[in-house]
Amino acid sequence: MPEHLNGVIVSAADLSKRVATAEGALDILSGVNLEIKSGERVAIIGVSGSGKSTLIGLLAGLDTPTQGEVTLAGERLDRLDEDGRARVRAGRVGFVFQSFQLLSGLTALENVMLPLELAGLAEPRRDARELLERVGLGSRLSHYPQQLSGGEQQRVAIARAFAMQPTILFADEPTGNLDSATGARVIDLLFDLNRERRTTLVLVTHDEHIAARCERHLYLEAGRIVDRR
Amino acid sequence: MRGLHHFRLALRLLARDWRAGELRILAAAVVIAVGAVTAIGFFNDRLNRAMTYQSADLLGADLQLRGSQPVPAEWRQAATERNLRQTTTLEFTSVVVRGDKLQLASVMAAGPGFPLRGALRTAPALYAPDEKISQPPAPGTVWAEPRVLQALGLEIGARIQIGNAKLTVTRVLTYEPGRAGRFFAFAPRVLMREDDVPRTGVIQPGSRVNYGYLFSGADADLTRFKDWLTPRLSPHHRLLDVRDETSSIGRALARAERYLGLTSLLAVILAGVAIAMGARRYGERHYDVSAMLRCLGATQRDVVALFLPQFLMLGLAASALGCALGWLAQETIFYLLKELRPAGLPPAGVTPVAFGLLAGLVTLAGFALPPLLRLKRVSPLRVLRRELAPLPPAAWAVYGSAAAAVLVLAWRFTGDLLLTAAVLAGSLAATVALAIFAGVLLTVSRRLHRRVGVAWRFGLNNLWRRTRTSIGQILAFGLALMAMAVIALLRTDLLTTWQTQLPPDTPNHFAFNILPQDVGGVQRFFATERIKTTALYPMVRGRLTEINGKPVTQAVTKEESDNNALRRELNLSWADTVPPDNRLTRGAWWDASGTGNRVSVEEKLADKLGIGLDDELTFSIAGETLPARVASIRTVQWDSFHPNFYMIFQPGALAPYPATYLTSFHLAPDQKPLLTTLVRAFPSVTVLEMDQILAQVRVILAQVTAAVELVLTFVLAAGFAVLFAALAASLDERFYEGALLRTLGANRRQLRAAHLAEFVVLGVLAGLLAAIGTELIAYVLYTRAFDLEYSFKWPVWLAAPLAGGALIGLVGFFGTRRVVNQSPLTVLRAS
Repeated sequence: MPEHLNGVIVSAADLSKRVATAEGALDILSGVNLEIKSGERVAIIGVSGSGKSTLIGLLAGLDTPTQGEVTLAGERLDRLDEDGRARVRAGRVGFVFQSFQLLSGLTALENVMLPLELAGLAEPRRDARELLERVGLGSRLSHYPQQLSGGEQQRVAIARAFAMQPTILFADEPTGNLDSATGARVIDLLFDLNRERRTTLVLVTHDEHIAARCERHLYLEAGRIVDRR
Repeated sequence: MRGLHHFRLALRLLARDWRAGELRILAAAVVIAVGAVTAIGFFNDRLNRAMTYQSADLLGADLQLRGSQPVPAEWRQAATERNLRQTTTLEFTSVVVRGDKLQLASVMAAGPGFPLRGALRTAPALYAPDEKISQPPAPGTVWAEPRVLQALGLEIGARIQIGNAKLTVTRVLTYEPGRAGRFFAFAPRVLMREDDVPRTGVIQPGSRVNYGYLFSGADADLTRFKDWLTPRLSPHHRLLDVRDETSSIGRALARAERYLGLTSLLAVILAGVAIAMGARRYGERHYDVSAMLRCLGATQRDVVALFLPQFLMLGLAASALGCALGWLAQETIFYLLKELRPAGLPPAGVTPVAFGLLAGLVTLAGFALPPLLRLKRVSPLRVLRRELAPLPPAAWAVYGSAAAAVLVLAWRFTGDLLLTAAVLAGSLAATVALAIFAGVLLTVSRRLHRRVGVAWRFGLNNLWRRTRTSIGQILAFGLALMAMAVIALLRTDLLTTWQTQLPPDTPNHFAFNILPQDVGGVQRFFATERIKTTALYPMVRGRLTEINGKPVTQAVTKEESDNNALRRELNLSWADTVPPDNRLTRGAWWDASGTGNRVSVEEKLADKLGIGLDDELTFSIAGETLPARVASIRTVQWDSFHPNFYMIFQPGALAPYPATYLTSFHLAPDQKPLLTTLVRAFPSVTVLEMDQILAQVRVILAQVTAAVELVLTFVLAAGFAVLFAALAASLDERFYEGALLRTLGANRRQLRAAHLAEFVVLGVLAGLLAAIGTELIAYVLYTRAFDLEYSFKWPVWLAAPLAGGALIGLVGFFGTRRVVNQSPLTVLRAS
C-alpha cells in the first residue's frame, strides 16, 4: 500500500547529504530515517549547524540527497528532477521562512496573491485579502514589505503559506528574526491556522518552548537524529 | 489555458516591477537603441530620397545608361515593363556655323521629357539671370552655352547651321543636368531637339555618337531594372547612378552612409551593453522571485513562461516609444532643414518603424536573454540559503548571443559586412586587451593610497576591494567614452573635410582659352576687381597615342580601349611644383632647374591604362609627336573646383606648342555682370559657370552634416545609458554598505566624498582606456573605412581622462545621492 494512503505524508530513509568543502567532504546529514503522518505537527530541533535546514530542504524537495530516499505525498523525490519535484510541491506544500522571503517589489496583498495566481485560481485577490484579514493585516494590504514590521512581514508570509491550502507546511525558524513577544504572536497564528486547516506542520526550531507545541520532536545533532519523542 | 494564464500573470508582474522602478534603465536603453536605429533609419531613408533626388538632378535622371552604340530595343522595353519613365539623348561633336564663323560644339539632342530629374536653366540673354526650364527646346530651336554665343558673336534669335539644318538660338543655356564633372574638356554645348537630328544629316554610319538613355522611377523598380540590366551590359556601355563613388557627391554620400551605419551600430552596441547590465541587475534582483516561484511549485518552463513575456512586452513597449522618439527626432531635423529640402519630397516610409521594432527585440534578446535565462536555473533552495546564485551563463552564450544580435542588425543596417566584422572583432579584441590594461591601471593607482585623506582612501579602497566589478565598470565607462570620442572625432573630421572641400570662396567659375598675350591683362582685371583666382595654368591640347611604343588601343585592355581619355584630346599642362590639391603617390617631382620630357600622370587614369613609372608615353600635339617618360603618378582632387590635369609635363617640354591659359575664380552673385565685362575685354576668353552645381553640392553636404549631428546625439544618449546602467548595477551593494557605514558612525559628507573619489578615479582610468581605444579604432576607421587623413589624436589623451573624471565623477556623485539620503534602518531592513 502506498505510504500516503497509510497516512504518511513525508518520509525519509537513510537520508544523507554530503558537500565538498575546502577541507574535504562534509557530512551535513547522515542516515536520517523518519515518517511524518498527515495532520501531524513535528518539531525538528537542534543547534545551529546541526543540519535542520538541510533536512527540511530535502524533505520539501528543494535539494537532492547524496544518498537515501525521500517520499513526499507518495512521490519519490530523489528520483525526480528539479521540475518533477516542483510539480509535487505545487499546491501541496507551503513554506514559512526565518527571513520571511517576501518579494520586495510586491505589496502584501500581491505577495499573498502570487501562489494563487501561479495556480491560476479564479479569485486570487479575494482569497488573498481574506487571508490577510485573517492574520490581522486587513489594513496593510497595499504596503510593501519594507513598510511593515518584522512581525507583520512574517504574518504576510504565513498568509501566503496557507493561501494554497497546502497539505503540508514547512516552517524554518519562523520566529528567528523576531523578538520574543512578536514571535509568540506569530507562532500562535501559525498554530491556529494549522489547526483550522488541518495542515501537517514540520517546524524547524531551536526553541524548546515553540517545539513544545508540537506533538512529535526529532532532535538533530551533527546531522543525525539523536532522539525522538 | 495555462499559457494564457501565465501571460496574464506575467503582465501583472511586469506592471508591479515597473511600478517598483526595476525596469527603468532597461527600458531606457531599449528606447535609446530603437530611437537611434529608427531615427537613423528614417533619416537615411529621407536623406537618401532627398540626396538621390538632388543628385539625380545633377544626373538628369535616377539612372543613366551611356554608350557608343544604341542599345537593343528589349532593354528599353524592360524599363517600360518595370514602370520606369525614360527618355533618350544623343551627343555628338559638330561644327556650328554662323555666316563665315565656325565653332566646334558638343551637341546634345534631347528627347521629349528631358530631363527626367532636375531642370535645365536658361537665360534670355548672355549673363542675364537664369531660370529653370523642364523641357528641351522647341523643334527648330536650339539653346547654346555662352561660349558658343561669344565665339560666333551671336545674339538671341540668330540662326545657326548644324549640318544641313538651320536652327534658331532662342535662349542661353546656363545649366544642364548630367554635365557635372564633365566641363571644359568638351567643346561648348548646344542643346537641340532629338526630332531635329535627322534634318541635320550629321549622324551617318560610323559617326562618333554617344547614346544616352535616362531612366527614372521608384527605387524598387530602378533596382529591379539595374539588376536585370547589369549582366547584359557590354564594354561599350556604362551605367551611371547617383551613387557613383567617383563623384564628389557620391563620395560624400558613401562616407555619410558609412558614418551613419557605423554610428547606429555603435549606438546599438552601447545600448546593448546598457541592456545587458540592466538585465543582469534585473536578473539578480529576481533570483528570490524565481526561487520563491520554484518553491511554490513552478517548473523551469513556468519560470521562463513568466519572465519571457515580460521582456517581450517591455521590449515592444519600449521599442514603440523608441520608434516614436526616432520619428520625432528626424522630423525635427527635417523641419529645421526645410529651407534646404527639395519641394515635393515624399515623407519617409514605414520600413524604419518595422526595423526599429525588430531591432529593439533583437537587441533585447541578444543582450538580455543570457542573464534572464539564469533565472530559470535558480535553485529553490535559495529560499533557505540566500547565497546560492545560479551558475553564470557560459561566456560563449553571453558574447555569442550579443554578437549575433549585432550582426543581424548590422547586416540589415549597414549592408557592410566588412565594416561590421571589423568593428565587432576590434571591439572584442579591444575589450579583452583593455580589461587586462584596466587591471594594470587599477594596480598602479594603488600607489596613490598613502597620499590621500580618509574619505578618498575609503573610496579608492572600494575600487580595489571589488577588483572584478571595478574592471567591469572601467570597461563599461571606457567603452562608452571611447564610442563617444570616436564618433565625435569622426564627425569633426568629416565635417571639416566637407567644409574644406568646399570653402565659402570655392571657385565657382572657370575662365579658359586665355591667350598668352592676354595673361597679364586678365590677371590685372581680376586684381582690379579684387577677385581671387587660382593659379593660371597653361593648357596644350594633345592626344595620347602610344604607351611604350605600342598604340594605346592595343596597349590597354579591351574594356579600357573605349576610355574617354584615349578618344579625345587631353588638356596637357606643365608646372614646376606639385599643384596644391595633387599628391604624389609614386615617383618624384622634377627639379625646377632640370629639363627633359618628363610627365606626371593622374593615378586613376594611370591604373586604368596600365601606365607605370618610367613608361614612355607618346603624345600627338598639333600634328607632331612628343615622347615623354613618366616621372611620377599623383592623385588629384577633381572636386576641388580648381583646374586639374591628367598629364602635367616638366616645364619646357611643351614650350614649342601653342598654349592657352586656364584659371578658376569665385564670384558672388552680385558680381555676375563682371563676366560680360571680362569677355568683352578679352574676346577669346571663355567662361564656364559652375555656381549652380556648387550650390547643389552644398545643400547635400548640409543635409549630411545634420544627419551626422543627429546620430551623434544618439550615441551620446546610449553612452549615458551605459553610465547609468553601470552605476545602477552597483547601487544595491552601495546602499547596503552606505547604511552599514553610517550605523558605524560615518557621516554623510565622508560617504559622499568617498563616492566622489571612487567615481572620479574610475572616470579617469576609463578615460585613459578610452583614449587608447579611440586612437586604435580611429586609425583603422580613418584609413580603412573613411579614406580620411589620419593624425595622432593627442587632444583625446588629455580630454578623455579629464572628461571621464568629471563626467563619471558627477554622474556617480549624483547617482549615489540616494545612498546617503535613505535611512540606514530602511536599507538594512530591506536587505
